[in-house]
Amino acid sequence: MSAQGILITAFAGAGLSYALGLTSARLREVFAIVVSVLLVCLIAITHGQGAEHVYYPDFLGLDLVLRMDALAWFFAITVSMVGCLSVIFSLHYVRGKEKENFYYFALLLVNAAMLGIVLSGDLLSFFIFWEIMSWAAFLLISYKRGRALDAGLKYVIMSILGSCAMLLALLYLYANYNTLVISDLAQQIRSAAGGFPLWVMLAFALGFGIKCALIPLHTWLPDAHSEAPSPFSAVLSGILIKMGIYGFILVMYGVVGLKLLLEVGAPWLHFHTVLCWLGAITILIPTFIALLQDDAKRLLAWSSIGQIGYIMLAIGVATSLGLAGALFHTLNHAVFKALLFLAVGAVEYKTGGVRDLNRLGGLIRRMPVTFACALIGGLGLIGVPLTSGFVSKWLIYKTLITEGHPFLALAALVGTWGAILYVYKLLHNMFLGQLPEKYANLEAAPFSMQLPLMICGFIIVLFGILPGIPLSVIGGIVGTLGFEPVTATLTGFGPQIGPLNTLNLCAAFAGVLLVIVAFRGIAARPKPVSQDDSYAAGAAAPAGKYHHTVRFYDPLERMTGGYLRDWVDQFYLSAAGKAKGVFNGVRRIYTGDVRTYVMYIVALLTFLIFAHTAGWL
Amino acid sequence: MDRNQITKWLKSPGKMAHKYSLHAVYFCTGCGIIEIPPVITARWDAERFGVIPVATPRQGNLFMITGYVSVKTLKAIIRTYEQMPDPKYTVAFGSCPINGGMYWDSYNTIKHLDKYIPVDGWIAGCMPRPEAVFVGVTHLWTLIDKEMANGYIRYKKKYAAYRSNQEMALGELDWPPLYPIEDETEEESK
Amino acid sequence: MTRIIQLVLSPLIALVVGVLLLGLSRKIIARIHRRYGPPIYQPVIDVIRMMSQRSISHGSLFDLGVVFALAGSLVTVMFIPLGGTQACQPFAHGVLCPLSSSGGLLVVMYLMLLGPLGLALGAGDSANPNASIGVSRKLLLALAYEVPFLLVILAVMSHYETISLTEIVARQQQAGWGALSVPLSAVAAFLILPAMLGVRPFDLVSAPQEIASGPMAEYGGRSLALIKLYGATHLFLVIALFVDLFLGGGVNLATFLLKMLIVFMAVEMINAVLPRVKIEDAIKFCWKWPAGLALLQMAITVLSKSG
Repeated sequence: MSAQGILITAFAGAGLSYALGLTSARLREVFAIVVSVLLVCLIAITHGQGAEHVYYPDFLGLDLVLRMDALAWFFAITVSMVGCLSVIFSLHYVRGKEKENFYYFALLLVNAAMLGIVLSGDLLSFFIFWEIMSWAAFLLISYKRGRALDAGLKYVIMSILGSCAMLLALLYLYANYNTLVISDLAQQIRSAAGGFPLWVMLAFALGFGIKCALIPLHTWLPDAHSEAPSPFSAVLSGILIKMGIYGFILVMYGVVGLKLLLEVGAPWLHFHTVLCWLGAITILIPTFIALLQDDAKRLLAWSSIGQIGYIMLAIGVATSLGLAGALFHTLNHAVFKALLFLAVGAVEYKTGGVRDLNRLGGLIRRMPVTFACALIGGLGLIGVPLTSGFVSKWLIYKTLITEGHPFLALAALVGTWGAILYVYKLLHNMFLGQLPEKYANLEAAPFSMQLPLMICGFIIVLFGILPGIPLSVIGGIVGTLGFEPVTATLTGFGPQIGPLNTLNLCAAFAGVLLVIVAFRGIAARPKPVSQDDSYAAGAAAPAGKYHHTVRFYDPLERMTGGYLRDWVDQFYLSAAGKAKGVFNGVRRIYTGDVRTYVMYIVALLTFLIFAHTAGWL
Repeated sequence: MDRNQITKWLKSPGKMAHKYSLHAVYFCTGCGIIEIPPVITARWDAERFGVIPVATPRQGNLFMITGYVSVKTLKAIIRTYEQMPDPKYTVAFGSCPINGGMYWDSYNTIKHLDKYIPVDGWIAGCMPRPEAVFVGVTHLWTLIDKEMANGYIRYKKKYAAYRSNQEMALGELDWPPLYPIEDETEEESK
Repeated sequence: MTRIIQLVLSPLIALVVGVLLLGLSRKIIARIHRRYGPPIYQPVIDVIRMMSQRSISHGSLFDLGVVFALAGSLVTVMFIPLGGTQACQPFAHGVLCPLSSSGGLLVVMYLMLLGPLGLALGAGDSANPNASIGVSRKLLLALAYEVPFLLVILAVMSHYETISLTEIVARQQQAGWGALSVPLSAVAAFLILPAMLGVRPFDLVSAPQEIASGPMAEYGGRSLALIKLYGATHLFLVIALFVDLFLGGGVNLATFLLKMLIVFMAVEMINAVLPRVKIEDAIKFCWKWPAGLALLQMAITVLSKSG
């Protein structure tokens, strides 16, 4: 199956699901799932193929090209997987809400457009698909109206800015090389010198940076992620912002190439070094902001920015291990962040839209499966050993340390320890502690909501114990991008890269666990007690209120809260406010009175005649 | 440790460990608690007996009620006692919990603590000196050895009676019974 | 075969030595207070006593969290070299470190997470606000001491240019202790040792008088016994790591344990005389002095490497 077939399936699926929805809701749901699963299968069977062909010759004098290579396949399978899971999750989530047809259409369209982005072989079709994705995403972000509309507007305005920057870069490239096909560009750009690659990359970096929420271009993300419907938040955080990452990798390593990249920028300040440091800042600040959030989805949104920092940092280091770590972390982040957003979505769905962390608690007793999956996702996010997040973070740290960037490594590690705090806060405030009385009879989420969670959890653990499976693919990709390929064994790395053997770790852990459980078995089985029977200095614990959640990290909040306001967002907002004032002023010249306009014309004519007679023109 | 000790350890490690690791929940009801700081600090050093204070009833096995018990406190005492894991030993400290002491005619004081929870040992006096606590502890060791410190078993067996006593003093209790009271009528018939 | 013996031996050593160190700690403090103190094997009695009590359970995570904590810390021990010299080949079994070829210092750092995290999850499930406050303090304290600790680790790793702990130990045995090559890091690490061990002045996590021993508020019986064992293993782990990073490990197990004992005594001296600090002050302290020293050392290391 070629790339063309995949794209036709994806786009036709989006359109048809809308058409089918007009006849029957049930049919549309089944069709949407079939299309998403079909896409996963179609992409899976194209593994290892490399193809490039023109699908629309001579569009505005340019050939539009589709191609399938290792990098494209890797991102395509991630996109289709997460897309498929979010469609399955949506079944119950949007059932009974308004504009279901539109929702499915937009969701499938976003997924199709993202597939288009990763499969396009020239930058023009890349740009076209990019725009389709941006606009479809806007429709979905503002699906809930109200505050969501503001969030969507913020997103789309920043997106347009980014797109303009990208378009500039495209025109610049086209003017110089007369082609936008990636493989041709990569051939020709090698001879480029001076500031040219820098300007192209800066323009691209603006576009991609906005999409992947690199600080200081991140301000759309917390609003958009928290206001979007939860299944789409999973797509948004899991894969949509990864399109920015894909763009960075494509332009930096696919187009500009490693050799040129290392020289871009001033001799004392390279482009990729700046990217590294931006990545480090993007890890640190959002992590500490995430600690202080009370809205579950907003917390996860800030955490997404933080995790993007890891990926950017690893891309910027420009080593084979770093890039492998970045790609692996991209996959991992897609999986565990999708899982966490979907888990929060399940809670939100069952509790009637509550995602305020101070009003939940104790849900482990009612939704154990959701909790178990969220726990695995949270552990993966932290990077606890035996989850896939550990291996990718290990790769990133390893490359930072051996390349001699201990300060960057420090930022990455501190970010991880911050991640523990917000993950624990999220899990604790939602699932642990006392169950409020109003949720005492809550039912577990329906199976169609639990299934995506379980799949994600399974992937995290599987890739954590056997990281060789994804790393064999990633190692190949790194090889195609001009690096030494990373050779990983099935269970980790040999001594030449660094000692890591996750299977041994897993076996040791399992063994010790068994011994402890056996040892524990000597003692009497504990007696289960109700949550009210807890120590309250002899008094009866008040039911449903005896829970510590509000300002969970109060001492830190008092210490750092003052420094952690989103200055960038405030700056943008004030700039937007100022611009609004200026444009309002400009608008005044349109009085709506014909006589004023006649006066303008006469004035202009007078000016022209005057200018002509004076000899200026 | 002599040979006698070692055989005892091998025979019933749990019992011996309970003897030498009495983690005490001090229920500071009245003036008696004033004697406890010297007991656990440098002057008399209860830790050499293995007796140390713990913060919550879940962690302890020795329940020490130091002073008079008002009706209001009784509720907390019962609650704390029930939250302690079995086996557990109760020691009442001072004369007030034994028979009311100087509050023998107070309307608001519980006169006989052992009507409401089982008490394994008494340390009489007003106030008992810290040395008396150690005498009490060593005496408790003997009781544990002879399996006479079995208040927790008594409590389980006669829970219905204890519960009714508690309800008589406190009115309706706002927590469910610790053990099922299904054989109340049976016991009465016996 | 030696591998299997080592696999069994090293967690066992950690447990036994850790429990005895706990007992020793009580004895030392008692002697500093001019008390007689309990026998050194008192924690063993305590653990047996707790195992013989019937505890309560607030849910499966409440029980399992503790198991994970203990398992995590025991597995971590297997990654730490406990004395022995490295023969010429890179991953010899001359060192008592059964899983040295399966992960280095980065793995150790992450595995040390499992303990607190397991305990935090278990305590969170206990539906007791004291436990939640304790966990909140624990995580904040972890964030506070991890910043200098990470700086220390990074300085050591940059200095020896490796992420393998056995190699760091081997390099020290050839070329002098880490305490001499990265002295400021060693000082910083020693300053945060009480925080990592959770002893005074940083015992605010399990403060019995304030928050009813924090995360352990609802634990009793066998779960508390496991927590006790986890505490012992964690104590062993932290001090062993310090000895490995800065005091050159040990030529054999005996010298290793001797060095551990000396470090432990020094920590206990601090433990015995200082009062408890507030969590804010703990964060401020950790981010000021140890972090400053460690940062200085890291800058020196990086500059000397690049120069």
